[in-house]
Amino acid sequence: MNQAAKQGTMDEFGVQTRLSRNLWQTAFRRFRKNWLAVFGLIIIILFLLAAIFGPILAPYDFLEQDLTSMLQGPSALHWLGTDDLGRDTFSRLLYGARTAALVAFSTTAISLVIGVIVGTWAGLQGGRVDEVLMWISDLVQAVPGLLLVMLINSALRRPIINWFDQLYEQTRNSFYLNTSWLDFVLVFSALAMIGWPGFARLIRGQVLSISKEDYVLAARALGSKEGRVMFSHVVPNSLGPLIVAVTASMGGAVVLEAGLSFLGLGVQPPNASWGTMLSNSLKLWQSFPHLLIGPAVTIGLIQVAFVFLGDGLNDALDPRRN
Amino acid sequence: MIQYLLFRLLRWTIGLTLVTFFTYAMMFYGAGDPIKRMFIDSENFDSADPAVLEALQAKYGLDKPFLVQFTNYIGNLLRGDWGRSIRLSVDRPVWDIIKFRLPVSMQLGFAATVLAAVFGITLGILAALHHNRWLDRVIISTVIFVTAIPAFVTAPMLLFFLVLVVKVMNVPYGWNGLFHKDVILPVVVIALGPLPIIVRQTRSAVLEVMSQLYIRTARAKGLPEYRVVLGHMLRPVLTPLITTLGLQMITLINGSLFVELVFNIPGFGLLTAEGIRSVDYPIIMAVAIIGTLIIFLSNFFVDLVYPLLDPRLRYT
Repeated sequence: MNQAAKQGTMDEFGVQTRLSRNLWQTAFRRFRKNWLAVFGLIIIILFLLAAIFGPILAPYDFLEQDLTSMLQGPSALHWLGTDDLGRDTFSRLLYGARTAALVAFSTTAISLVIGVIVGTWAGLQGGRVDEVLMWISDLVQAVPGLLLVMLINSALRRPIINWFDQLYEQTRNSFYLNTSWLDFVLVFSALAMIGWPGFARLIRGQVLSISKEDYVLAARALGSKEGRVMFSHVVPNSLGPLIVAVTASMGGAVVLEAGLSFLGLGVQPPNASWGTMLSNSLKLWQSFPHLLIGPAVTIGLIQVAFVFLGDGLNDALDPRRN
Repeated sequence: MIQYLLFRLLRWTIGLTLVTFFTYAMMFYGAGDPIKRMFIDSENFDSADPAVLEALQAKYGLDKPFLVQFTNYIGNLLRGDWGRSIRLSVDRPVWDIIKFRLPVSMQLGFAATVLAAVFGITLGILAALHHNRWLDRVIISTVIFVTAIPAFVTAPMLLFFLVLVVKVMNVPYGWNGLFHKDVILPVVVIALGPLPIIVRQTRSAVLEVMSQLYIRTARAKGLPEYRVVLGHMLRPVLTPLITTLGLQMITLINGSLFVELVFNIPGFGLLTAEGIRSVDYPIIMAVAIIGTLIIFLSNFFVDLVYPLLDPRLRYT
C-alpha cells in the first residue's frame, strides 16, 4: 500500500525525468551496483579472452607429452601440474576454454536462429500453426535433455563420418579426412536440438504480449509507422529477456558440452575439453588430486559466473524494476 | 475436468509414440547395426565369418527393413516384451536389467526429492521472513552458487574434500541399499539440482502470501509466529511447488546419470550411458521410452493433483 502510494506520486513528478533516461544507461547503472553480477562478467570476459588468446598464453602446447614429467604436482614449470601423459594442465585448460567458448557461441547461435523462426512464426500465425509448433517444442523439452543429446550425438556421428569418407573418395580433398572438428559440429547440432524450444517459447511469448501492450497501441494511435513501432517499442522491450536467455543458454551449453565429454560422447581426444579432463582425473584423483581440482574449479567457476551474470542482467534489464 | 485430462492423456500418448518412432529411426539410420559394429569394434572384421554375422542379425531381427523392425518392436512392447540386450549384457532380457536398475534410481531420486523439498522449503521460508536482510541474501546467493555447479563437478569435489582433506569417509562405491551410509553423498548431490528453484519459488510464494489479509488476521488474533507460518502460509506455498517438483523430474534424471557414473551406482542413469556407448538398441529404446514416460507421468500427476490442492482451480 505504501509502495503504491509512492509510485502514484512518482509517476506524476519524479519518475518522468528518470524514465526519459535511456533504457541501456539505466540498465548499466543498475548492473554496476550488483557486484556479484560484475564479478560474473569479469570471469566471463577472462574466459573469452582465454578462448581467443589461449594458444598464445599457454606455456606449453596442449598436446605436447613430456614423459619425463608425468603426473607432477603444481610447480613453477607447470603451474597446475601435468597429467598422466605429461601434458601441462594449465595449457590444456586454456585450450579447453576455446572448445567451451566455441560450443557455447555456436550452440546458442543455432538454437537462437531456429527459436526466432519458430517463435515468430507461431506468434504471428497463431491458431493451429501455433498449437502444433508449441506442442512440438513441448515434446522436445519433455524428453530428458541429456538422453536426447546423447542419442542425436551417437546417431549422427557415423553417417557424417561415412559421408565425409565418400566426399574424400570423390574429391581427394584432404580437408575431408581431418575429422577432428567433426565432434564440434556434432556437439553443436545435438545441443541446439534441445536448446531451440526455450528460445521459441520465449520469443513467441514476447511477440504475443508486446504487440498487445498499451504503449504499442498508443504508438500506433499516434500514427507511428509499423517499422518504428517494431524497432523502438517491440524490439527493445523483448531484448532484455532475450539477452538473459542467451546468457543462460551459453552457460548451459558449456556445462552440457563438459557433461557430454565427461561421458566420453563429446569432443574426442586429442582435442582438449574440460569434461574429458575431469573424467580422466577421476581414475587418478585419490593419488593425484591436482588433476581433479583444475578442471573442476574451472567448470564450477564459469557456471557460477554465468548464473550471477544472468541474474544481474535479469534484474538490470527488467523495466518494471525500480 | 475429466475431458481435459483425457485430452492431455491423448496428447502424451501421441507424443510417446513419436518419441519411440524417432528414437528407433535415429538408431536404425544413424547409429547403425549393433552386431556389425560389434564385429568392427573387435577389429577382426575382415576375417569374421559373414554367416555368423548374418545369423546374429537374423536372431535379433536386425536383417529386416526399418518399418518391419519398428512394427515388430512395438508389437512386442505392447505384449510386455522389451527385447533382449545385444551387447551390454549379452542376450539378457531388457526388462530383467531394467527391473534391477530402475528401482535403484527411483530410490535415489525419491530420497533426493524429499531432501531437496525439506531443505528448499525451509530455506525459502527463512529467506522470505528475512526479506532483503542479510540472511535472505546469504541464503539466495549460497544456493545459487552451490547449485550452479553441475553434478559431475560437485560430486568429485565433495569426494576430494571429504575423503582427502577432511578424511571423514571412504569413497562411496556401488549400491548397498537406501539405508547404507554410502547413499548420503550421491543423494545430496542429486538433491542440489532442484534446490534453487524450490528455494526461489517458496520465497516468492511466501512473500506473496505474507501480504494477504488472512495472515494479518492470524497475526492479529495473536497466533505465535510458527503457527502463522505452518498453519496459514505453508499450504498456499506448497501448491505451486508440487508443479515444480513434477517438472523437476528432468533434472533428477539428468543429475542421477552423472552421480551414478561417479559413484558407480548401477542405476537407470548408468544404464543409459552404458547403453548408448555400446549402441545396444533394445536398451537405448527402453531407456528412452521409460525416461520419457516418467516425465510424462509426473506431468500428468501434477495436472491430476493440482486441483485437489488448490480449491480455486477445482471448478474451472
